[in-house]
Amino acid sequence: KMAAAGALRRAGWRLCRGRAVLRCQHSPPLRALQASAALRRVSDEHKKEPLTSPSQQQFDPHPDGHQPEQEPQGPRPSYTGQGGQESEDYESEEQLQHRILTAALEFVPEHGWTAEAIAEGAKTLGLSVAAAGMFHSDGSELILHFVSECNAKLSELLEQEQKRVQLGEAEKKPTDEFLRDAVEARLRMLIPYIEKWPQALSILLLPRNIPSSLSLLTSMIDDIWHYAGDQSTDFNWYTRRAVLTGIYNTTELVMLQDSSPDFEDTWRFLENRVADAMTMSNTASQVQSTGEAVVQGLMGAAVTVSNAETSRAVR
Amino acid sequence: PPGGGAALRLRSTRAPLEGINKPVLDRIIRVDHAGEYGANRIYAGQMAVLGRSSVGPVIRQMWNQEKTHLKKFNELMVAYRVRPTVLLPFWNVAGFVLGAGTALLGKKGAMACTVAVEESISDHYNNQIRTLMEEDPEKYKELLQVIKQFRDEELEHHDIGIEHDAEA
Repeated sequence: KMAAAGALRRAGWRLCRGRAVLRCQHSPPLRALQASAALRRVSDEHKKEPLTSPSQQQFDPHPDGHQPEQEPQGPRPSYTGQGGQESEDYESEEQLQHRILTAALEFVPEHGWTAEAIAEGAKTLGLSVAAAGMFHSDGSELILHFVSECNAKLSELLEQEQKRVQLGEAEKKPTDEFLRDAVEARLRMLIPYIEKWPQALSILLLPRNIPSSLSLLTSMIDDIWHYAGDQSTDFNWYTRRAVLTGIYNTTELVMLQDSSPDFEDTWRFLENRVADAMTMSNTASQVQSTGEAVVQGLMGAAVTVSNAETSRAVR
Repeated sequence: PPGGGAALRLRSTRAPLEGINKPVLDRIIRVDHAGEYGANRIYAGQMAVLGRSSVGPVIRQMWNQEKTHLKKFNELMVAYRVRPTVLLPFWNVAGFVLGAGTALLGKKGAMACTVAVEESISDHYNNQIRTLMEEDPEKYKELLQVIKQFRDEELEHHDIGIEHDAEA
C-alpha cells in the first residue's frame, strides 16, 4: 500500500511538471491525452482498483514553474488493447512524438533543427503548432530522432544484404569494401540535411545530449562490425570499434566541407582511411607475435632458473 | 539533471534476441567469459612452472577442460552480441602471474590456488543459476544447462585440488 501511494504521488508530480501541462496551455486535447495516459500508466503498473480520492487531489493542473523532469527509465507499459477503453487508433505519447518529429524532418532544410521545423511538422499532422512545446527549443530530440532513424535504416540495409548473401544472391564482400560501403550508405543519409548538419553536430555534443548521442554512435558502429562478420572476443573487439568510430567521425567532418560532385572527395578519403586501418591491423598482429616470442623467452629463462634452484636444493 | 533530457527513449538499432533480458544476460556472459579466460591463464602459469613435474598431467587435464569452457563462452558471446570485458589484457597478465607465482611455491601452492579459485568460481556459477532460474528457467534453458555443467566440472577441479593438496 505504501509503495502504491508512493508511486501515485510520483505520478502526480510527473503530471504537475509534465512538459505538456507547462507549455501546451492552449491545447487541452493534448493535455488530456497526457493526463489519461499517465493515469492509465499508473493503474497498469499496480493493477489496482479505480483511483481513490486522495490520489486524485495530486493531479493538480496548475504548473509550479519547475523544469520538466527526465522521463523515467525502464520499459513503458503498453497502452493499446486495454479493456476496450481506448479507441482503436489510440496511440501512446511516444508514438505521437515520433510521428511529429518524422513529419518535422521535411522542414529542416528550410528552418534548421528548430522548434519552427517541429511546429511545421505538427501542422502537417493536423495538430496545433503548440505541440512543438513538447520538445526542447534547441531541437535536440529532433536531431536524436533523425540519427536514430538513420541508424535503423542502416541496420535494415545491412540485414537485407546479409540475407541476400546467405541466399546466395550476392557475393560476400571483403571487409574493407564492406566497411566502406556501410559508412558511405550511412553518411549519404545526411545529404538532404547537409547544410544544417554542422548545427546538429554541435547540439549533439551538448553535455545533456552526449549520453544519447554516444550510445547511438556506438551501437551503429557495433552494428556495422557485427554485419561485417566480426567475431572477436578479445581486446580486438574494442580496437576495431575505436578505429571504425575514428574513420566515421573524420569522414563525416570531411563531408561537411566537401563541395566535389556527389561528394567523391569524401568517398576517396573514406577509402584511404579504411585502407590505412587494414594495414595497421596487419602491423599490429606482427608486433603482437614478436611480443609473445619475447615473453616466452623470458618465461623459459625463469623456469630454467627455478628448476636449477630446486635441483640444487635437493642435492 | 535539471533541464531534463530528451522526452523520447531512443532505442539502439541492435535487435536483441527476442524476449531476452539483455542487460542481465550481457553481464552473465561477460563475467563468465572473463572468469574462464582468467582460469585459462592461471593454469597456463602453473603449467609453465610445474609442467614437467609429477603433477603436470593433472594440471594439463584441468587446463584442457578450461579451454573448452572458454571456447563455449566465446561462441555464446558472438551469438548474443555481448562485448568482452575491457580488463582482458589485465586478466591475461594477472592470471598468468597468479598461476606461475603459486606454482613457484611448489605443488602444494599450486593446488591450494586451484582449490581457492575453483571454489569461488563454483559459488559464482551457483549465483548465476539462481538468477536465471528466478528470471525464467524455460527461456534460458540452454544457458542454464551450460552453466550447470561447467559448475560441476569446476567442482571436480576443486576436488582434484584437495586430493593432491592433501597427498603432498
